[in-house]
Amino acid sequence: MPIQNPNPNKKKKKHSNQDDDEDDTVQGKQRTQFEFCKACRLNHNQGRRHIYFPNHKKALSSFLSRFQSKLKNDVAFYLKKPMPLRPEHAALNRLWCVFCDFDILESDSSFACSGNAIAHLASAEHLKGVKSFLWKYGGGMDRMDSFRISESDFTKWEKKCKLLKSEAAGGGSHGSLIGPLNDIHNESKSEYVNSFDKNKLDCLTSDVKCSNSVVPLQDHTIERSQISHSKICTVGPQILHAGTGVGLGARTPNGLPGFFGNQHYTHSVPKEGPAYSCPNDGKQVYSYEGIAIGDRHSQGTSSEESRLQTQENGGGNVHSGAPPPWFSAAEKIQLDNKLNQGLGDLVSSLGEQMKTSKLNPKRVGAAWAERRKIELELEKRGELVRHDFGADWLPNFGRVWQSGSRKDSRKEFLGENKTWRKVDSQIEKPSQFQPYISKRMRTDNTAE
Amino acid sequence: MNYLLTTLTKKQEVDSMIRDTIDKVLVLCFGRASDSIFLQLDEILYKSVREVSKFATVALVDIDSDDVQVYVKYFDITLIPSTVFFFNAHHMKMDCGSADHTKWVGTFLRKQDFLDVVEAIYRGAMKGKLIVTCPLPPDRIPKFHLLYEDV
Repeated sequence: MPIQNPNPNKKKKKHSNQDDDEDDTVQGKQRTQFEFCKACRLNHNQGRRHIYFPNHKKALSSFLSRFQSKLKNDVAFYLKKPMPLRPEHAALNRLWCVFCDFDILESDSSFACSGNAIAHLASAEHLKGVKSFLWKYGGGMDRMDSFRISESDFTKWEKKCKLLKSEAAGGGSHGSLIGPLNDIHNESKSEYVNSFDKNKLDCLTSDVKCSNSVVPLQDHTIERSQISHSKICTVGPQILHAGTGVGLGARTPNGLPGFFGNQHYTHSVPKEGPAYSCPNDGKQVYSYEGIAIGDRHSQGTSSEESRLQTQENGGGNVHSGAPPPWFSAAEKIQLDNKLNQGLGDLVSSLGEQMKTSKLNPKRVGAAWAERRKIELELEKRGELVRHDFGADWLPNFGRVWQSGSRKDSRKEFLGENKTWRKVDSQIEKPSQFQPYISKRMRTDNTAE
Repeated sequence: MNYLLTTLTKKQEVDSMIRDTIDKVLVLCFGRASDSIFLQLDEILYKSVREVSKFATVALVDIDSDDVQVYVKYFDITLIPSTVFFFNAHHMKMDCGSADHTKWVGTFLRKQDFLDVVEAIYRGAMKGKLIVTCPLPPDRIPKFHLLYEDV
């Protein structure tokens, strides 16, 4: 039994550390029921207070950012480009959902990598789980959508999977896939040749994406790459010049052996990007082979894109700082001008106030200040007509004897003001003066 | 009498002053030019205006003007001189140990006191606090009694 304090004024109750449910009296500030906080990984008996402590907030933010990075790297990537799942890789592709507290395995997912995970993340139970987690741990309910997949995204992904499936079904084995691949290859190439100067990259990428049967792009790439390679000299470093930052499949500067060792391609793909920087001629063929074989296990899209881009971009590249191929010189000038005219003006004129970006966003009236600055800027430019706030505007003021919020006090004041004005107007009404007539005068009149 | 700083007489002027002072403390002093204490306050403000100019703006408001009576009522100004602080159109309160946190009543004993007060307000506002505590020791704060309670 707990010891009841004889002095009820004492705020803290002295209890032995027990998880008694009976002790849940409201007098004391501490609830003695212990709960486990997943973010801080500790048991505490502070109830709802715990989520507002700074340590918890830190722990929670790191916890959520870790999960979010997992989602971004793995799931988001495969949401855009579903790929068939190999059973040997399935065992490695599992995801622990922190909100629902269970492991999502890929064992029977025929769809594509992380099919089960995507399905779970789009489901309603997961949404519930996210909501309750955020409520319980005080994560901020507006972040919900970053932890789940919306229905529209999910349906898009499903469609892509179905396409992939049908392609795979239609193709049959790997070998026969080369057949339709031929077409893609030729199609895209011809399209590309026709639109050498113009920005058709979107077409290309969408074309390639739609087919989705780009996984086993082997022989043709080697052949064609070697042909193209002989024509164009400075192709090498441009391998990296893939439009997408996705990278060129698992590629290490060491080439093949490094890749084959790396079975878990969910991690390998996104991290590639800028790592590749081999010199021009010596390793050319080697690198292309790397691409070709690497594509077996990762997307061929990126390599094809890059290859096509390399053909297009004879001069400079990302490394030399040249503009991307979809910018012709004229367009670039136009774009620069537009940039200058648009927000550039706003920014440059606020040059003296560039400190604004560094001012504490939590300062008093920050939002109002930002809005007002923009208003003033527009007024200067003459774009925004200055609208007078009128005689009734009152600043945000906390009155002396206020009990509610400042808005309430303002309303209160306005209400009081109105009654005063009414009183004033009423007083003014009987202003008609009549000359004084004495009683004698009146009686004289009536008598007469 | 030339010492007086920019004196505002109309509500519209006060409004524009409040609305146009961005990211700076706005010090609005309500008073009457005939009042000696107000003049003393004005002297101190005049000396300090330039020094706080980077983070504060100072303006005087004439209580006797009709247009401004709305504000006199809104801010519950009964004792003069009264000084109200604003930051980004938000009213800043200061706890000086008196019952009224919404304004500063009276003058400042020294120029440094005024600078301390404005600095405290600015620091609190930059941190996002709507009420700050007075940095001055109680003997330097002019005392007054609130005339009306529970009106």
